[in-house]
Amino acid sequence: MTLPSRDGPAIQVTDVRRTFESRKGFLFREKTRTEALKGVDLTVEREAIFGLLGPNGAGKTTLTKILSTLLLPTSGTALVLGHDVTRETDWLRPRMGLVLGGERGLYNRISGRENLRYFADLYGVPLTEREGRIREVLARVDLENAADRRVEEYSRGMKQKLHLARGILHRPEILFLDEPTIGLDPKSARETRKLIRSLVGDGVTIFLTTHYMFEAEELCPRLAILSKGRIVARDTVSGLRTLVGGDRTLEVEAYGFEDRELEVVRALPGVSKIVTEEFGPMTRLTLRVRTNETTVDQVRAVLPGHAELAVRERRTSLEDVYLDLVDEEVR
Amino acid sequence: MSASVSRSYSGQRSTLAALRLSFFLFMADPQWLIPSMIAPVIFGIVSFELFRGYGAYYLTYAILGAGMMSMWGQTLYGSGWATGQDREFGTLEPTLQAPTPYLYVVLGRVIWNVVSGLLGGLIVYVVVVAFAGGPPALPDPLAFVVLFLFVMLTLAAVGVVFAAAYVYTRYAGFIQNIGEFAFYVGTGCMFPVVLLPFWTNPIALVFPPTWALDALRYACIPGYVGFSWGLWPDVLGAVATTSAYLLLAGSIFHRVERHVLEVGNLDHY
Repeated sequence: MTLPSRDGPAIQVTDVRRTFESRKGFLFREKTRTEALKGVDLTVEREAIFGLLGPNGAGKTTLTKILSTLLLPTSGTALVLGHDVTRETDWLRPRMGLVLGGERGLYNRISGRENLRYFADLYGVPLTEREGRIREVLARVDLENAADRRVEEYSRGMKQKLHLARGILHRPEILFLDEPTIGLDPKSARETRKLIRSLVGDGVTIFLTTHYMFEAEELCPRLAILSKGRIVARDTVSGLRTLVGGDRTLEVEAYGFEDRELEVVRALPGVSKIVTEEFGPMTRLTLRVRTNETTVDQVRAVLPGHAELAVRERRTSLEDVYLDLVDEEVR
Repeated sequence: MSASVSRSYSGQRSTLAALRLSFFLFMADPQWLIPSMIAPVIFGIVSFELFRGYGAYYLTYAILGAGMMSMWGQTLYGSGWATGQDREFGTLEPTLQAPTPYLYVVLGRVIWNVVSGLLGGLIVYVVVVAFAGGPPALPDPLAFVVLFLFVMLTLAAVGVVFAAAYVYTRYAGFIQNIGEFAFYVGTGCMFPVVLLPFWTNPIALVFPPTWALDALRYACIPGYVGFSWGLWPDVLGAVATTSAYLLLAGSIFHRVERHVLEVGNLDHY
């Protein structure tokens, strides 16, 4: 139990697949197989926040549970801190924190402090340090004043904070956060994000799943997008913008465009992608454009004769990137 | 952050933590008053009326019958149910993710159930004695107490195995509900196994409480004729079957944990 963490990345996932089987029916049971992960490869460096983005059902929680030793992969290998998650759980579990969040996962009829005491004992937090450490994490998540109230009296946000307090109680080297701000009001979500950021300063590697784009953009220097059980992209936010064809987005709106006009716009320098949407009588063209190429004025110039032409420029958001990549995967 | 982290758990400390948790959950949930406080009173009265007048040792039969009825549920059923509760609360996942093997947690839960089961047994004793107007004639009170505790241990051993079933599947409660009365009658909780049809005996002997209860009756009812050859063969039988159950529990918990990680049903409830 005193072996140091092996050098190398915090997480190394190679061709991990996971299939779930379920049965339907009573007398004549029908077996259904669902492939949640279809060969995931992923590397996460230490002491940073890594974000895993993906729509509902993409496999984020499945991957998180595999990495946190709560689920076995059907095939492939997953190393955390250099140790195999299927064979070296005794070594890994004391070094990992897991926050699945939500309303469940806590003993609601006892106090927050008593919940933490229980898990401190299961994680082997030294008895001499236990009470001090509990006070410390309660202060960190701003639950000191509610610590002795029953958890059933807590709001959703307070429960989430208690989940986080439990996750960091034993000072893990790596913390898995599965949608840590889902269902929280904006203030609680902001506080949670602030806390998550502060943990990196303590030397913790954080693996965070979310489907909130702004959260990923705000917290994660590097991230991956998981869609239908596959990693469809992995990079920094700016790298992902480049991947989808440009860090600038031009939105062009008018009462319809002719095919000829679309071809002209597509041929403008730096335009890598056009998405057409109808909304009411209007049509919107969304163009991904590389830096320093094609300006608003150039677009206006090639689309004469539109009385109600509107052209706006904005920075390509992570949400744009995400939707482009996930849509491509769906197609 | 990881500089001063402890990397070792203590099984003993985890068991104590689970025991303390069970106590707090018990105190926080008034529904437990019914099986632990009110039911023993009713069982005691019914059992007293049922056995009244049947031989010189009817009071002992009444206490054992009702005492076992209130204790077996609390100890055996409660032990499995506690794990079912972890499934329901969603606490099974974080508990299994902790470094402590879940068996230590179950042991703590079971010890609490033994303690609360003993409370039920004590209530039965007080009720029957109050109705009878005096305590039963026990030839060896010390043997009675020791063997009474021994019976609890055998019930707890079965409870640990039941707890593994609750980890294995969310449907364990359904299976346990079907089997509980058969188990109750089959192990001789209410009346001696020898009164049951012979074909039930081999099944009954697989369960540690059958042996321990028979030993208890040998010890406190002079002239009792059980299914075994006397007190000590019963004690040996109980020790052997209890040890087998505890060994089985140690082995199957590891396999069950592996199974649920393969199947991925820990969050199902």
